[in-house]
Amino acid sequence: MSWYSDLPKFYQNQIKAMGLDDEGMSRRRLLKTAGAAAGAAAMSGLTFGRSARAASQMSYMCWEGYNDPRIIDPFKAANDVDIAFDLIVDSPGGFAKLQAGASREIDLVSSDMPWVTRMGPAGLALELNPDDYADVYATFYDQFKPPFEPLMSEGKTIGVATRWGWVGGCINTDITDPDTWRSYDPVFDAKNKDKICVMDWGDWPILPMALHAGIDPYQELDAAALEEVRKVLRAMFKNTRTLVADLTQAQKGLLDGSLLGCIGAGSYLTSAVRKQGHKNIIATVPDPKNGLKQGIIWVEATAIVKETDQPELAQKLLKHVVSKEAGHILSLLDTTCNVVTNKAVEALYTDEEKSILQTDYMWHAWDNSQMHRIAPNIDEMLAIWQEELAAAQ
Amino acid sequence: MNGEIDRSWRDPELLVKALPSVILQTAFFLAPLLMTVALTFQRTKNFQLTWTWSLDTWTDIFTKPHYWTILGHTLFMAITCVILCLVIAFPVAYALATRLRAFQDHVKVLITFAFLTDATLKTFGWVLFLDKNGAANYLLQQVGFPPATIDILFTDWATMLGMVYNLLSFAIFTIYLSIDAIDRSLILAAYDAGASKFRTFWEVTLPLARPGIWAASVLIFLLAVGVFLEPKVLGGGKSPMSAELIRQTFETRVNWPLGAALTLVLMTVAVFVVLLFNRVYSLKRHMGPV
Amino acid sequence: MAGEPILEIRDIRKNFGAYQALKGVSLSVQQGEFIALVGPSGCGKTTLLKQIAGFEEPDSGSLSIAGQPMLGVPAAARPTSMVFQKLALFPHMTVADNIGFPLKLRKVDPAIIAKRVEAMIELMQLKREYLTRYPRQLSGGEQQRVALARSMISEPKLLLLDEPLSALDVKLKKVLQAELKRLHRSVGVTFVHVTHDLEEAIMLADRICVMRSGEILQVGGPNDIYYRPADSFVAGFIGDTNLLAVTVKGNAVSAPGLTAADPTVPAQYVAPGLGDGPALLMVRPELITPLESGQVADFTIDVTITEIFCKGGTVQFRSNTEGGAPLIFELPGASKQPADIGDKLRLGFPKRDIYLFRERVAA
Ligand SMILES: Nc1ncnc2c1ncn2[C@@H]1O[C@H](COP(=O)(O)OP(=O)(O)O)[C@@H](O)[C@H]1O
Ligand SMILES: [Mg+2]
Repeated sequence: MSWYSDLPKFYQNQIKAMGLDDEGMSRRRLLKTAGAAAGAAAMSGLTFGRSARAASQMSYMCWEGYNDPRIIDPFKAANDVDIAFDLIVDSPGGFAKLQAGASREIDLVSSDMPWVTRMGPAGLALELNPDDYADVYATFYDQFKPPFEPLMSEGKTIGVATRWGWVGGCINTDITDPDTWRSYDPVFDAKNKDKICVMDWGDWPILPMALHAGIDPYQELDAAALEEVRKVLRAMFKNTRTLVADLTQAQKGLLDGSLLGCIGAGSYLTSAVRKQGHKNIIATVPDPKNGLKQGIIWVEATAIVKETDQPELAQKLLKHVVSKEAGHILSLLDTTCNVVTNKAVEALYTDEEKSILQTDYMWHAWDNSQMHRIAPNIDEMLAIWQEELAAAQ
Repeated sequence: MNGEIDRSWRDPELLVKALPSVILQTAFFLAPLLMTVALTFQRTKNFQLTWTWSLDTWTDIFTKPHYWTILGHTLFMAITCVILCLVIAFPVAYALATRLRAFQDHVKVLITFAFLTDATLKTFGWVLFLDKNGAANYLLQQVGFPPATIDILFTDWATMLGMVYNLLSFAIFTIYLSIDAIDRSLILAAYDAGASKFRTFWEVTLPLARPGIWAASVLIFLLAVGVFLEPKVLGGGKSPMSAELIRQTFETRVNWPLGAALTLVLMTVAVFVVLLFNRVYSLKRHMGPV
Repeated sequence: MAGEPILEIRDIRKNFGAYQALKGVSLSVQQGEFIALVGPSGCGKTTLLKQIAGFEEPDSGSLSIAGQPMLGVPAAARPTSMVFQKLALFPHMTVADNIGFPLKLRKVDPAIIAKRVEAMIELMQLKREYLTRYPRQLSGGEQQRVALARSMISEPKLLLLDEPLSALDVKLKKVLQAELKRLHRSVGVTFVHVTHDLEEAIMLADRICVMRSGEILQVGGPNDIYYRPADSFVAGFIGDTNLLAVTVKGNAVSAPGLTAADPTVPAQYVAPGLGDGPALLMVRPELITPLESGQVADFTIDVTITEIFCKGGTVQFRSNTEGGAPLIFELPGASKQPADIGDKLRLGFPKRDIYLFRERVAA
């Protein structure tokens, strides 16, 4: 029971997302006390441990979910360590924060793979020796076993892949035929005006639209190609009912039928509703168009920060995060459910859980998708996005 | 009087006394401002700041019309919001300070709660209410209206509704305080001089509440210029206002120079608008030298 | 001062919840009179003025001005004008606009308003350049004059003044008291002046009305109030005076230590209706003189000096009678000091100008 447990689920999620739930509040308090203690220590010049309760203290920068107590508590107990979390709200922001000096505090980072990979050249990540992780990789899906090129920078392994999913069309099969979503055409269909939802998540909605326009956004683009991106975004905004940054808002719209489909997201968006029993909400990937794969695979990865003062513990925590038990929990959170990289987890899934995660569809999605990276012309594309959005008013 | 003011500028003792506050102001206001200005002359590439002096950002701002479209839209929304807030808040505040004196303690508590309640929650509440199949339409349908009679969600109308709703309590409170502060004997004096209730309101209450109305206008305007939640959640993000543009620039584009420059533009324009209104309104003319 | 009563108040009652602010007040004021309402703070003076001005309606009773019943008539329509305790000048209007405001409301031609305002300014002996100033730019006394001007410009039948001088310093107060007196004489409007200062009332008013907790205790001319107070409450208001507890029998008084060849008191010095029993004998300090041996007086009493104060022109002596009652007397400052602290002394006072009345009646 909590103060908000009588509210509709929608609200509850909202409250959680804002960190106003009991757990969130106590987390904040904890961080505050830890911060105060650290401040006091610095002021007095003493060097006692940051926490009075545990032998050591770690800082973990991660997306919401990696901090689930069911994952973290066993680790804390086994290693007598306290963990402070720095929750990422958006990947570039998290990366910028690390660059701005948070790397001195943070020991471990779980973020979007391109940003983890980028920690390599930025000198923020500790290079991993894949041999040290042989035990972990042993049960991984082959696709993620080393050498896993997307997580390598100049031949060095930067991180370990943890969770993944696909980006395509998110639809309600009760009101729209999944077959019509074998391409992004419905997004531009005039009869769907005011029924399309676009996730307001930076590059995520731009990339699929570029692919639809026949542009591979992961290649260096010339002015003509960028003009194509501009055109497709302009067309997309014509039919857009709403831009949404909040998962629950998109989920609610899909459920009640006010939104026909969502662009810029995928399994990450649909799975939580599927877990609540709404199997009519699915995440699809369009068929390749003129040989260009239309789907996008996102991967989250975990890396150890170069400046960590406890590399062994950080490595232990990394291995724990991709373990079978942690992976199972991580793949079936309340807010979002996504498959993980550790194949061993699959053995733990019930049929229901498999259905939630659309495991029968995941390799189809993989086969028809691009691997997400940082697009070389993302600055220009985001600028175009802003311009076209302003013009669409 | 002039002599005194002149002297205070030259008085070395006063200057010394003012020094700590000058230093503090420099540290807390001027220094960040200068850093922001310096930031606008840098460049970004692939989400990374490169420390080179260039005019790229400013060229971008002054050559691309869409920044200005959004700014214009923001000013329009903010000014409309100010007007609506005043139109609604004044009668409420007036009634509170005069007719509803008996309830004013309860109402003050309510308004304080309105202040404290998280704006995010309230805003999402409106989404549920205004949705095509939300509470408002459900109720209307029950009394015989066709489905989805209210279809303003994800439009500027909904944004405006949310802005007025979230900012109204500031306006009510500020204006209420100014009306409440009017000495009751001034009102009696007006009656005594032969003024009707309306005339008293017009000649005494309104002019004396003007500083409060003005303060509320400035407050609401500055808050309204900075809203991002309402256009995003209620307006569906389709016609973003400046704050959202700045957030987007900082967070998703990770273009700090541009974000800093847009912030400076917004600040400058907002201050300019306030000064412009100040001229038009001219406190001095109504209140005499203070 | 005879003529039509301009203000006729009959048995007005006003309650605030269970609290009785006015408990049946009746008062009749003549045209052109200067009447002062005196009483301690909270006794209902302002409340009474508000009933007259029309800011509040009494619960019962009747009120007429110049023969016209006024109950139910809004303040704006009554021929009264009030000078407020806090002056209530409009801070957003210039002095000229403040003074001209009542005429502006009556739709008087602006040119005429300007002329009348200038006349008022002159009457109030204010400088012409103040016309364009704002109230806060004037001194307290000047603001006072502006408030008076604003109240008088509409030529009200009744000018109600609610302690207008109470916030001023003593010197300025004296100046404005004289000013009020002058104004009253020159304009001839009826003044109802509220004050808690009986001295001020005695100085200014033709008649004084003493109030206590919602009731009128005594109405009369300054001499009536000063020399023939209705009871010890009124007498106590006057300032330093002596109230000796005495016993009345027939028309003779007796008290411990008090000796008299003939202890009977003429009826004119006895409050009407005072019967046998305990009473108070009032004697003014300035009427008491020390007696040399062999000197005689109507009444004599032995005292011991306890304190001596210099009061500018006079010296005040405080003493105790043999019965332990305090007794004050005053001598001109220039005269030879008769005694020091601790000295025993025989005092005497004449029969004239004493007054015998009953103990304060509990409210
Ligand atoms: N509006 C009111 N509500 C309640 N009590 C009041 C009100 N106005 C006056 N009183 C009370 O009536 C009494 C007389 O007040 P007032 O006439 O202002 O006294 P004063 O003689 O000092 O002018 C006071 O005790 C005051 O508290
Ligand atoms: Mg009073």
